[in-house]
Amino acid sequence: MRSVRRFLSRLGHLVTRRAQDERLREEIEGHIALQTEAHLRAGLSPMEARRQAMLKFGGVEAMKQDYRARRGLPFIENLLGDLRNAGRSISRMPGLAAVIIVSLAIGIGVNTSIFSWIQLILFQPMPAVSGAANFLLVEPRTETGGYAGASWLEYRDLQKQVSALRDIVASQMVPFNVGERGQTERTHGQLVSGNYFSALGLKPAIGRFIRPEEAERPGTEPVVVISYDYWQTRFRGAPEALGQELRVNERDLIVIGVAPREFQGTMVPLKFELWVPATMAPALLGGTRDLEDRTMRAFSLIGMLKPGATRQEAQAELSTAMAQLARDYPEASAGIGGEILTFWKAPRGPQRMLISGLAVLQGVMLLLLLAVCGNTANLMLARGSTRQREMAVRVALGAGHWRIVSLVLSENMLLALLGASLGAAIAVWGTTALRVAPMIGVFPILFQTKVDGLTLAFAILLGAACGLIFSAAPAIHLARLDPQDGLRSNSNTPPRSGARKVLMGVEVGLAMVVLIAAALFLQSFRSARQTDPRFRPEGVLLAAYDLSGRNPDEVSERQFAARLLDHLRSLPDVEAAAIATNVPLDLHGIPRRPFTVQGRVRTEAGQDRAISNTVTPGYFKVMGIPLLEGTEFAGMGDRTAPPQAIVNEEFVRRYLNGADAIGRRIQTRGGSFAIIGVARNSLYDAFGEPTQPAVYLSYRDRPQDQGEIHLRTRSGNETAVTSEARAVLRDLDPMLPLYDVRTFSQHIERNLFLRRIPARMFAVLGPLLLGLAAIGIYAVVSYAVARRTKEIGVRLTFGATSGRVILQIIRENLGVITWGSAIGWVLALVISVRLMTKGPVNLPVFLGVPAILLGVATLACWIPARRASRIDPMAALRHE
Amino acid sequence: MMVLKTLDVLGPLHGYGIARRIEQISGDLLAVNQGTVYPVLLKLEQEGAIASEWGASENNRRARFYRLTREGRKQLQVETQDWEQTAAIIARFFEAKAEDLS
Repeated sequence: MRSVRRFLSRLGHLVTRRAQDERLREEIEGHIALQTEAHLRAGLSPMEARRQAMLKFGGVEAMKQDYRARRGLPFIENLLGDLRNAGRSISRMPGLAAVIIVSLAIGIGVNTSIFSWIQLILFQPMPAVSGAANFLLVEPRTETGGYAGASWLEYRDLQKQVSALRDIVASQMVPFNVGERGQTERTHGQLVSGNYFSALGLKPAIGRFIRPEEAERPGTEPVVVISYDYWQTRFRGAPEALGQELRVNERDLIVIGVAPREFQGTMVPLKFELWVPATMAPALLGGTRDLEDRTMRAFSLIGMLKPGATRQEAQAELSTAMAQLARDYPEASAGIGGEILTFWKAPRGPQRMLISGLAVLQGVMLLLLLAVCGNTANLMLARGSTRQREMAVRVALGAGHWRIVSLVLSENMLLALLGASLGAAIAVWGTTALRVAPMIGVFPILFQTKVDGLTLAFAILLGAACGLIFSAAPAIHLARLDPQDGLRSNSNTPPRSGARKVLMGVEVGLAMVVLIAAALFLQSFRSARQTDPRFRPEGVLLAAYDLSGRNPDEVSERQFAARLLDHLRSLPDVEAAAIATNVPLDLHGIPRRPFTVQGRVRTEAGQDRAISNTVTPGYFKVMGIPLLEGTEFAGMGDRTAPPQAIVNEEFVRRYLNGADAIGRRIQTRGGSFAIIGVARNSLYDAFGEPTQPAVYLSYRDRPQDQGEIHLRTRSGNETAVTSEARAVLRDLDPMLPLYDVRTFSQHIERNLFLRRIPARMFAVLGPLLLGLAAIGIYAVVSYAVARRTKEIGVRLTFGATSGRVILQIIRENLGVITWGSAIGWVLALVISVRLMTKGPVNLPVFLGVPAILLGVATLACWIPARRASRIDPMAALRHE
Repeated sequence: MMVLKTLDVLGPLHGYGIARRIEQISGDLLAVNQGTVYPVLLKLEQEGAIASEWGASENNRRARFYRLTREGRKQLQVETQDWEQTAAIIARFFEAKAEDLS
């Protein structure tokens, strides 16, 4: 208690220090005056009286020192003093400080932005849901490794049988057409189980959520919960929205509540607007048998572990339950097991892909930050050496090594933390800029990245780590200083500083790695736009339709597609039209289907898989993919031809060893098809992909309830036919919206979005790093040259030409730089071979980057070297 | 403790007075440097045992007067008791003769 009080009081003294000093001085004076008077009264002479008084009082300065030490907190005072000193010395070198702070800020800002993505996906995967990362996915899994989804009845069974999880939640993503006939709008929603909102622990913004009993009996409760954004845009945020009716898939649903602001559903990053009880499925989806049929695996399940339960227990229970279901319902569940997955490993959705990409990006950016640190360390070291005298004086006056270290440390930490705060600001700006992601593919996507406590902590931690890293070298260097040496020597024999050179080498090496990575990435991005996709995207308009709300049968699906195509082809500006289930170069990729083909025996375990797209006749004409052999698919109305397939060249090469493919049979889960043609290879998933085998099936044989319309226009002006295409669809079915209308080029651009972000980062950071490396080298060399002025002067007087001096200086420094960059180069090579491309090494990058880097390095050496060679020998010798 | 007792007996006093008083009471046996009283005063003030304010000294100089606070009085009491106890124990050790122990 007493010590606490003392501590507080001492803390208080920090503020009032000056006044306190004054007070003590006055007290001492008063004391001595009184004592002197006492002596005077005792009859001493004034001089003697004062002398005696002083003697009696004792050592004034020692007492003052003791007093001060007791009064305040020397540790904190020192720290404040150091900080003040740091502030002063930083303001004395504004240029250098600016370079350091800005480079650190950019490094930290970029890293923090990337981290905010990673932390969003790993730690906060469902915005507005607290502890969302603890949710586990419950995924039925087929023998072949596919994640099949769960049926409603299965969900009910699992809910009872997997007791290690509390409140398993089921949801199904459904597209809704909202609005009156002829002017419907496509909106995405989820059909959810009754416990959906309560299990997620959400509170409605207004109104209430779906009650458990509202998802018990089929079709009884026409209620809907809307998203906050939807409430704002459609109802202008009016509370009267509650109780209003919303026309969804030609049914009236009553709005009962609004979800919390940031909530976007349980399948992030997809953003949903409506949540409807799962029991409404038959009413909304044209009498679907989703709720009774165990083969309709449409639901995704998530759940959280009960307190005390382990994931192993949940997995064991799930396996038992799934095995039981497989015995009870062999036709629906045979061969289907179950797997518990962490949330971010969702088999549907881009999290997995993003995480691996982001991890690589983060790694590269951390390297960049390390290079920045190396650079800063070098600059500080160079500067620190010029301060040797100052430090020597400090040591000579009695500063301990720790005081010196803490002096340097506080200066660097101040720089680092300034950098970190600016970096955090950059990250805030960066993440908000990135939040505005466009709709990707058919689905609205939203990444709610933001800079929160964790990300801020990350930024500050990075800053502190940087500060420590680049303080280490100068601090050690200065603390080891011999004060006598520092005071005496005045640049006569400069200590050869190995540390600086090693640092320079390391920095150049790191720069090399990062620059090569950046160049590789940029080049792959650039080539993405220049590569020939081997089909003709120009002049093609894409648009999607979806009949799934009608729950149509195969006959009506086939008829609808046939009629739609007939109408579209009759438009004057349409050269060719086709429908396909998948569009190449989509962000989500095209599914691969397992198959067996006649004449191929697979020796190893597993299954052959090929890209699979179901297309209507005319597809190859629209896409400009020539058929190399055989014929086009039979017409949509043909009822006699057997099921057909067309394969690509790669398929023939890989699976049939180039033998004649026509007439062979191909067997997939969907049935048996005869190969009738061979199409040219083209790109399917991404630019730069290795050639992939592909199978095209005919829409005639396998009609689908949704499709992507491909229209090739005569004029080449594809947007012109948009309204005509819309009119065609409205004529066919007034309730059906045409959505996601875009030109093929737009489609490609949009799907390069995720690669464009890092591309931009690299485009900015690459030159920046190069500049930093140059500044670092420049600083080291010019410092070294400055210290050797005398030596150079001697050389020049003895007849060395300035050219030789320059050459020698460059040679000396370039040695280290070459070593560093060679190591970096090898490192980058290993990384790129291991991680990035499987193709041949990208020679232009691996030769060009070192050339540029070494060129810049040489220039950075040359400038100070030239300056040194121009000095007047006499002046140099008189230097001291 | 000596400082506290001094202030207890004499009331508010300045640093010089305290130093003098300690010298007098101890019969000049404790001839320490008078300056050392100030760090002690500071410690006591930080602990809240004494308080100080400016006042005029006998020679009409500005001087800082220290006085005992309630806290200080309590502390003095406790310490006096402690001291007396300790002293009593020590005294008994000195009085104890060999035969008493057997």
